[in-house]
Amino acid sequence: MTYHGQRTREHSLLSRFGHQGRALPTLLSALVITGFISSLPALASSSAQSDNKLGEQSSCYLEGLSEQLTCGFVTVPENADKPEGKQIQIHYAVLPAIKNSDHSEAFLAIAGGPGQSAMDNAAFFDRTFSKVRQQKDILLIDQRGTGRSNILNCESEGYQGSLAANEADFDTTKETQACLDNLASSDVTQYGSLNALKDFEAVREHLNYQKLHVYGISYGTRMAQLYMRHYPQVLSTVTIDGVVPMQQNVLAIGQAISRSFDLLLQGCSDNALCNKQFPQLKEELEAVDAKLALAPVITQVSDPLTGENTQLTMTRGKFMGAIRMALYAPNIRALIPHAIHQAANNNFQPIMGLYALNLDSTGIAMGMHASVVCGEDWQRLTADEREEVASTYFGQEMITTFEQSCDIWQMPAVDKSFSAAISSDIPTLVLSGEIDPATPPSWGELAMEKLTNAKHFIAPYASHGVAGQSCGNELIAQLVDSGSVAELDSECLNNDVSRNFYLNASTVEAIPLDESKHAIEQGDSHD
Amino acid sequence: MISNIITMVRKELIDAARDKRSVMAGLYYAIGTPLLMCGMFMLLIGQMTSPEDLNIKIENGSNAPDLVKYLSSQGITHGDSQSTNENGDKLDVKDIRLVISDDYAAQMAKGLSAEITLIADNSNEKLQNSIRRLERNLQTYSSEMGSLRLIARGIDPRVVQPIKVNVEDEATPDSKGGVILGVATMTMIYAVFISGMNLAIDTSAGERERNSLALLLSHPVSTRNIVLAKVIAVTVFAMVGLLLTLIISKISYAFVPWQELGFTVSISTEFILLMLLTGLPIALMAASLQLFVSFMAKTFKEAQSYLTLVLIVPMMLSMAASYNIAPDILQWLPVSGQQQALIAFIKGREIPMLQLLLSSLTTFIIAIGLAFGMERSLKSEKIVFGL
Repeated sequence: MTYHGQRTREHSLLSRFGHQGRALPTLLSALVITGFISSLPALASSSAQSDNKLGEQSSCYLEGLSEQLTCGFVTVPENADKPEGKQIQIHYAVLPAIKNSDHSEAFLAIAGGPGQSAMDNAAFFDRTFSKVRQQKDILLIDQRGTGRSNILNCESEGYQGSLAANEADFDTTKETQACLDNLASSDVTQYGSLNALKDFEAVREHLNYQKLHVYGISYGTRMAQLYMRHYPQVLSTVTIDGVVPMQQNVLAIGQAISRSFDLLLQGCSDNALCNKQFPQLKEELEAVDAKLALAPVITQVSDPLTGENTQLTMTRGKFMGAIRMALYAPNIRALIPHAIHQAANNNFQPIMGLYALNLDSTGIAMGMHASVVCGEDWQRLTADEREEVASTYFGQEMITTFEQSCDIWQMPAVDKSFSAAISSDIPTLVLSGEIDPATPPSWGELAMEKLTNAKHFIAPYASHGVAGQSCGNELIAQLVDSGSVAELDSECLNNDVSRNFYLNASTVEAIPLDESKHAIEQGDSHD
Repeated sequence: MISNIITMVRKELIDAARDKRSVMAGLYYAIGTPLLMCGMFMLLIGQMTSPEDLNIKIENGSNAPDLVKYLSSQGITHGDSQSTNENGDKLDVKDIRLVISDDYAAQMAKGLSAEITLIADNSNEKLQNSIRRLERNLQTYSSEMGSLRLIARGIDPRVVQPIKVNVEDEATPDSKGGVILGVATMTMIYAVFISGMNLAIDTSAGERERNSLALLLSHPVSTRNIVLAKVIAVTVFAMVGLLLTLIISKISYAFVPWQELGFTVSISTEFILLMLLTGLPIALMAASLQLFVSFMAKTFKEAQSYLTLVLIVPMMLSMAASYNIAPDILQWLPVSGQQQALIAFIKGREIPMLQLLLSSLTTFIIAIGLAFGMERSLKSEKIVFGL
């Protein structure tokens, strides 16, 4: 496939970790997916910075933003214990405040993944935080191992192969080893969150910001919480959105996914139109899942992009993974009941469409992803937790994958104190989305444990990443402006921003009576 | 001779200061214009930005409940002129109608285009932003549905976006506000002309009407010194007016919510200095021009009418430069040349030094020429006695 280099690179790791890999890596990600239509492939095309001198700033353009921004980098040793060893560049971008009276404070937005580039998602952050930006600079840093900061990625086969491939054939061990060999020039054990946090501080000092307002989304919430633990004196306010509390092992995401599936089925049966159109949705989902668990369904389809005839091997992994990823974006989520219903009638076209969305655009640096998860989550998984995680389909897949990949990655485990609850009195806004398929509201509650100056809001219509899907961004602007959580009111989060479920492949509105019969027939006779 | 001139300038200034009317006229402009401009911009920004809660008339909304729900999540809701908000105030319902067709749902279900009609007066500036916002939201909704329709058919939505245009805007935050500052510079150059005008009339035609001109000329001072003193006094007034305008602008512009427009406008100290420097030759020319014309006029009143006519020329030059409709030749001419240099400075471009120097030089030469003309004319009885 003649994709531009970056895309193949992004994709590579997905294949390596197989379907579980995709599922899991992306779990915490969602940023790209949240942005959906606008940010489908959010891959970097920024020019400008790599050839200038050390630490020098230059103007640059980032994907999706037409205006000139300030980009630059600081150079840090890859291993802080070997200051003379390999040096890496930590790249950053500043979206200058519109009304720029005071540059002593900045709003630092930390991307998810782990493995997403904050700078590649500059347009998303700019759009979401336009109000914050009126008064404060927005600072985006490509965390070490992602984006422009010595990205840990791997090459692998292209996109076309994935449709035909059966994920069960992936040899995770072999693929992971190949990836590690490719990254031989970097010491992958240095790419954990704590080292990255020191880089963030180096950038802050380099840019002379006295105080930061930190916003973390998804995995970024872990970075934000570490910031609260290690450098509380430089923080004015903190917002954690789609929270992974320090006490929580991300590998337990399987339960969160199951919960989100249940909420979807519930949502459809509570909705008169959806319930009427898909009365057997739960049964249909279970039937397809059971059928694919036995053997994949192989069909000839048109490739979603090239339109060429190609083989689609519909596996359980593709089916469940596609639905799971669709749960991230409320507007895509609306299509799931239709997709399940069609799949139950042996038409996998809609599922393939959903699956193809994430084929090459998750934007996750898988090497860095493995460094974080293997060092900070895999090794603290207790036997009990492991049993619980393995009780769900996704949890089980994840355990299988990470068992093999972490064995190769050989990350040293973080200290036990890493998992302690964050105790802080910094004004903190905790945001959770009710229908979040990755970080359920209960995780947000857990993060609140020792926060004495915090509010936890649950947005009923939001999934992963409340700021981009509701008035969450306004609340954050208010927090940044006032420096206090006291005045924040969650009322506006109740504003219904959801779409109705798709009742066929075309509409979300009630199908007029004389049409409905026709439409169903048409849909069902589709393959 | 220098002390001679200084004495006379002092005399002119004391005279002028006694005449409250001409002092006030200058001050009114210098203080009033920047404030007026700010008020105007604030009003404009307020009118141009679409209100957070946009109320329009949605007809047949029941045919497309999901669309209506989407619009309402974007702050666009249906309201009729009778509706009130929770405080009991009457809703501000914009005169925009959105009519959803009867077969909306049927067309939608078939995978066809469902029709909605947007009815509004696009020439109404107050509505334009609201109309655009509505169109943008409808477009977003439509393209989102379009993408999902493709996904439902197993097609990657990217295939219907064959060209992706990346825009790299070379504007800097400073240059974005340049358009507005361009207009502001125009009013500042006006300040130079307006602030000294009354004094110029008063000290020439006025002095003659009071019969003190002949008295002054009968003193043992050269006509040249008298002319120079008058020019300098008027120039001082013009420059004070300019300085006031600049200071008031610097303070008051900070209160305008420019950020609503996505950029900021501020008047830097460097700009003030450059403005004062380039303003000086203009002020000299303005003073000589105004004095010259006033001497030519027979009465105070006549001077006023003539001056208003004459001042149109530099003002047109300035306006042409600030609205950027000027042919290239204008950057070499007095007033417009300086102004274009100032605008270039604001926008962070390189200042066209050659043009600036040449236009300043021309300005200066015109000033000297006019002063010389005045000196000669003051030797004529016709002028001195207004015959």
